[in-house]
Amino acid sequence: MHGTAKKFLKDTWDTLWNPSKVKNIFEKSGTHRKWQGFLWILPSFLGVMAFYLLPYADVVRRSFLGAVDNSFVGLANYRMIVENTAFLLAVKNTLRFTVFCIPLLIITALVCAVILYRSKYGGFIKSAFLMPMALPAVSVALVWRLLFHSQGLLNYWLSHLGVEGKDWMNGSYAFWILVISYIWKNLGYDIVLWMAGLAGISENIYEAAKVDGAGEWQCFWKITLPNLKPSLYTITVLSFLNSFKVFREAYLVAGDYPHESIYMMQHLFNNWFRSFSFDKMAAAAVSESVILLGLILLLQKAWDSGKEQ
Amino acid sequence: MKYGKLKRAAGILLSFTLILGSLAGCSGKDNGGAGNAGGNPTGGASGEEGGEQAMGRFLEEDVTLPIVFGNIYDMRKLEDGTIRIIGNNADNGTETVWDSKDSGENWEKAFDVPKELQDAGNGYIDYAALSSDGQSVWVYNQIGDGGIKPILYLLSKEGSLSEIPFELPAAESAGGGAAQSFSSIVSLNEEDEESGEGDEESGEGDEPSSESNESSVKNLITAISFLGNDQILATDMTDKIFQINAADGSVKQTYDFSDVEDSHQVFAAGKKMLVVTSTEALVYDTETGEQQQTEEALQQSVAESGFFNAVDSIDAGETIYYLTGKGLFHYKFGGSVMEQLIDGSVNSLGAPAFYPIALTMLDEQNLLVAASDLNSDAGAGMALLKYTWSADTPAKPDKELKVYSLYNNRELRQAVSSFQKAHVDIYVNYQVAMSEENGTTVSDALKTLTTEIMAGKGPDLMLLDGMPVKTYIEKGILKDLSSILEDKSSYFENILNAYQDGQEQLCAVPARFMIPVAQGSSANYTPGEDFDTFTAKQGILANMDPEALVEKFWYSCGAAWQKEDKTLDAGKITEFLSKLKNAFGEYDSSAIDDSTSMTISQGGAVNELQKVSLSWGDFDLAFGRIKVNPGLFGRMDYGIMSAVNDKLEGGDYGLMPGQAENVFVPAMILGISSKAAQPEEAEEFVKYLFSQEAQKISQFGGFPVEKEAFQSVVDGHEYADKERLVGVMGSGGVNPDEKLDYALTPTPEEEVQKLISLAESLTTPALQDDVIKEAVVEQGAKVLKGELSPEEGTDAIMQKVNIYLAE
Repeated sequence: MHGTAKKFLKDTWDTLWNPSKVKNIFEKSGTHRKWQGFLWILPSFLGVMAFYLLPYADVVRRSFLGAVDNSFVGLANYRMIVENTAFLLAVKNTLRFTVFCIPLLIITALVCAVILYRSKYGGFIKSAFLMPMALPAVSVALVWRLLFHSQGLLNYWLSHLGVEGKDWMNGSYAFWILVISYIWKNLGYDIVLWMAGLAGISENIYEAAKVDGAGEWQCFWKITLPNLKPSLYTITVLSFLNSFKVFREAYLVAGDYPHESIYMMQHLFNNWFRSFSFDKMAAAAVSESVILLGLILLLQKAWDSGKEQ
Repeated sequence: MKYGKLKRAAGILLSFTLILGSLAGCSGKDNGGAGNAGGNPTGGASGEEGGEQAMGRFLEEDVTLPIVFGNIYDMRKLEDGTIRIIGNNADNGTETVWDSKDSGENWEKAFDVPKELQDAGNGYIDYAALSSDGQSVWVYNQIGDGGIKPILYLLSKEGSLSEIPFELPAAESAGGGAAQSFSSIVSLNEEDEESGEGDEESGEGDEPSSESNESSVKNLITAISFLGNDQILATDMTDKIFQINAADGSVKQTYDFSDVEDSHQVFAAGKKMLVVTSTEALVYDTETGEQQQTEEALQQSVAESGFFNAVDSIDAGETIYYLTGKGLFHYKFGGSVMEQLIDGSVNSLGAPAFYPIALTMLDEQNLLVAASDLNSDAGAGMALLKYTWSADTPAKPDKELKVYSLYNNRELRQAVSSFQKAHVDIYVNYQVAMSEENGTTVSDALKTLTTEIMAGKGPDLMLLDGMPVKTYIEKGILKDLSSILEDKSSYFENILNAYQDGQEQLCAVPARFMIPVAQGSSANYTPGEDFDTFTAKQGILANMDPEALVEKFWYSCGAAWQKEDKTLDAGKITEFLSKLKNAFGEYDSSAIDDSTSMTISQGGAVNELQKVSLSWGDFDLAFGRIKVNPGLFGRMDYGIMSAVNDKLEGGDYGLMPGQAENVFVPAMILGISSKAAQPEEAEEFVKYLFSQEAQKISQFGGFPVEKEAFQSVVDGHEYADKERLVGVMGSGGVNPDEKLDYALTPTPEEEVQKLISLAESLTTPALQDDVIKEAVVEQGAKVLKGELSPEEGTDAIMQKVNIYLAE
């Protein structure tokens, strides 16, 4: 095994160092062609290996061990998290948030993108939509605090309208504030992605359809949407991953223990880390990653089957 | 193709550089100063160089003083090599001058100052300073019909007295923060004592002499020092500095610093005068009176090393040695660097209760420091320390013991100083996670601590105050300390065992404790009454700060809320909030704004513990703004307590009524990390912290758990034979006329015994969990203010706490 690795490294080095060998590899086919691809992704792969895969393997290992003494506990940690009400609440909230936010964001962004794509000021407005992404999370959180505090600006404005104020962040409203904030922040990014997809659709198709008597709605339904399918996968996955970042704002505004409707997985991980609950953290992280991987694979499969059709 | 290899080589090289550069950012080596300030006192480099351990450090030793000094005014090395001290003999009250010919080993009395200066009936000595030729100048505040008048006397080396014909101009505007509270201790003179006798029964009278003359004070000298041997620098209460000719009293220069807001000290160095604040140093040429350009290195040195406590020079003022809370520094005028010679964190110089009075450089390798050390064994707290250069001692102690706490602990800091003195091979690196400067939250600090512990770089010893102690014990983060405290007979075992588990393991042990108590007049409060009876009295807790009130009663009630399954009993929380609301009555923010405690809060930084302490509300209680004063009792100020009780007519104190009984608040909770790098040293330090010596250190952090130390800190023995001392406490601010006089006397034996019995009766450690406390205080205050009903408050508390407890 050791010899094989040594030979591999030697071959790699010789290949990189010798232009003629590189040329030979390009000219060859089959197995060597596979190695050639691997060589190019090697640096990146090593990074992923060192910073993601190996730590993840350690997390998997720790999910079967005790918190500090590292004794083997089998599946006890998994049993513990399944019975943990805080974990179940965090899972429920995270799922609820995802279920509400992702479709809402994708549809809103698509509508905006289509409108902007046809507008002559689209480019400028698109940049305006991207502004929230440029704002630091801390500044956003500060504005939130000013707005939604029980004695904040929103209540002050409402009091002028004769409406009684509320403690927005300590009630069920907190969830919807989080949803709006997420959409506000990520809308611009998704619009850009949708517009890139729209730009990839040839104008000839629309012109041909119009010659055949198709209306605007039919063009959108029969041409735009089917051609945007490849973008949908990317946008969904990215939106999904971005939805986890909303924790920053929630944490900065409401701290370690926010209202129960916005208590997310990251709050739980954060608090578990503070109290040395590495056993539960590891088990929860493995469970979450398995579910996430499953969802992404499912999404990919759905996309692939769409392509085949 | 010609350059193909070159390009590839360059590409690979750049890639490696990039990777190495990225990885370099990951190395979080702590470059913090670790007590390696030693170095060569003559100007060599310090720290470790070339991988070899740097050698050489100043070692500290106590010098036995010939008498018990009540005060040391100044100390100086004279031109003939004699070390001279001028001070006050605590045994007989005389002002006296002592000499040592052998660098402090042996002392001889030179003389007592002449009778003119010993006339306590007509005045008192306030300040005195020495010159290098042995003369001394004394500030005698003469009390007469016209008020207090400062007179300067010059005492020759041999003791002959002459008055300096200097008249201190009347103050144009006596500064002073009117909004500040004050507390001062003054000595009654004989006449006052006589006049006060007739009023003893009424409990009033005993007006201190300085107070009765307060209105007639025209101006006072607040600091004095020699400039060379023939001139004097005297600062007055308006911050004007007079450069006075010692022979004829003529004023050569006047420097006006009345506009400088920052407090400042004046030092002489050769012909230069240094005026130093906590952030800058101003240098004046005393020949011309002109301000000189402050050298950049000196300016930077002040910014880095802080306020100067004492300054000395061994040449004509070309170089200065100065002491700050960070240690001893050396600076050469015209130079480009300041050199730290002694790191204050490894000896007494950095201790919080250590206040240097005079620094005397014997030579470059030996020095003496006279200081007021509140925790010194020496009588009256005056201490003399000698620092000697030891070339054979490593510049940095061999072993580093990391001690961690969330909040600064003054007792611990003092103990670190004493411990290091006895263990020169151990450097105690005391890290405080939270400070006003860094703005870290408890949560962030604990996360960082977790990371460090798991990475094997965590502290050896932790002060667990404010941390989730029980979680740490459950997770196995803390070592069992029962072997260190095998013999518990000399301690309050009930307190010591606060965190003992089922297997009799002691993974966390409180070294101190506080008692939730209440004080009030017999009409409003009966010691021992239960929570229901007490809170049934509507408005009995009116006019108090809602947040502070909820927090105080959280200590006496929280322990009763926890059920066996570790969840909280919502019914008891509702009951707590309802009853507290009844006792609080209607919220009136204006009444709270008028309170003394609020005035003090606005006057400066106040730590969180102070706000819930018993002493925080005693002034408002004495003057009727509140009816009962609940708070944490961690330090016995018998004089104040009895003065308040006397004023209340039948006032008394007892355990704070609460839903739990016999509650105490563990403080200075010690735990050794199970991953400690220096477990033996940590155990050694814990043993020291439980020793009588360390337990007797008292800096407001709670009563000691060691019984003899407990008795020692509550019995007021330091006031024995000093019956003439009285204290005056005032609020200033909104209630400037209110003053409370109290006698500084030893605590009567029956009071000491009462407190001991109280301490022995304590059985229940208060629930100490910052997450729950925060939720209770936040929502509880809303209930008291009428923003929420008790039920709504409970729901909000339970919502947050349930998630926390479920985790």
